[in-house]
Amino acid sequence: MNDLLIAGGIGVAFGWALECAGLGDPPKLAGQFYLRDFTVLKVMLSAMLTAMLGVFWGGRFGMLDPGALYVPETYLLPQLVGGLVFGLGFVLSGLCPGTSCVALASGRVEGAATMLGLFAGVLLVGLAFPVIAPFYRATPHGPLTLQRLTGLPYGVVVALVTVIAVSMLAWIAKREAAR
Amino acid sequence: MRLVRGLGIGALAMGLAAPFTGNPSRSQQRGLDLDSIARAIDEGTDHVSARQLAEWIRDRRPGLRVIDVRSPAEFHGDVIPTAENVPIDQLARSRFAPDQTVVLYSQEGAHAGQAWVMLRSLGVTQAVFVPGGLADWREEVLSPLLPVNGSPAERARIAALSHYFGGSPRIGGEQEGEVAGAAQTGRNLRRRGC
Repeated sequence: MNDLLIAGGIGVAFGWALECAGLGDPPKLAGQFYLRDFTVLKVMLSAMLTAMLGVFWGGRFGMLDPGALYVPETYLLPQLVGGLVFGLGFVLSGLCPGTSCVALASGRVEGAATMLGLFAGVLLVGLAFPVIAPFYRATPHGPLTLQRLTGLPYGVVVALVTVIAVSMLAWIAKREAAR
Repeated sequence: MRLVRGLGIGALAMGLAAPFTGNPSRSQQRGLDLDSIARAIDEGTDHVSARQLAEWIRDRRPGLRVIDVRSPAEFHGDVIPTAENVPIDQLARSRFAPDQTVVLYSQEGAHAGQAWVMLRSLGVTQAVFVPGGLADWREEVLSPLLPVNGSPAERARIAALSHYFGGSPRIGGEQEGEVAGAAQTGRNLRRRGC
């Protein structure tokens, strides 16, 4: 019960942050794909940075155990195909699963349409699962992290990702200031 | 703008300091904690009966993950409902969240028991296995023997659980008719390998 309350609180905060960033607005999201609007990239990069540094330093100071966090497993081929389908849907509807909830909550009918499609798609895949199960489990690589892939220590990967993300954010800020 | 720049510089500093602070993870030690394994076996917290597992599945116990450790070829036949197939050779690459209850089973239980030790060595302490595997599942859940001298409530409980999973309980040991009916469902109750 306590967990559910915490989850509810995090959900409210997450939705609030997404709405504040303007991610409930489909044209804004689609603008990222045409390189007109970099809000999505800014939100994603800063969220990744905050979460990564938070987990790393939280672990370093003994506040949490990064090793106990669940890392989703990599299935290369199905995830590539899934990513392609997801990207197509994202640019067509201008919303992703999380932002469609936000859009619906702020009263946008696009949000309702996307969520309806989302549930229909999930249901379809669920029904067709026996047929696609072999593909679903194809090319398994286990929980693949950057440090496992590159063989570099955790801290070095954190530093590299930080440098890349901060330079991208600085570049976006410069670009926006120039306009 | 000043705040944004400050945040960016702060993030950069924290990121660049990361390589010099060592590994933050506490659960890195991989190895067998023999004492805790012996204690779990001794106290019986290493396993769970098929009937208990059936109740967990029926009651939708939060965080329950039922893992079938047999090969994908065997997984196509009889399986425990809600089970996912993670063959032994892929078990070490799987991740289990600390709040999940992992229940392992195999054909007869030996492989599941070995898988349990493997998971323990990987630091997964919240795993249990079904000692008799699928054979137990068939005998205790799908076609359980209702105790002749058990209370009516207990017999009803066992029968309801069996019916929930589409099984048909057998009554006592004497009634020939009932046993013949059960033999039908129990025909593929042959024990092969593990």
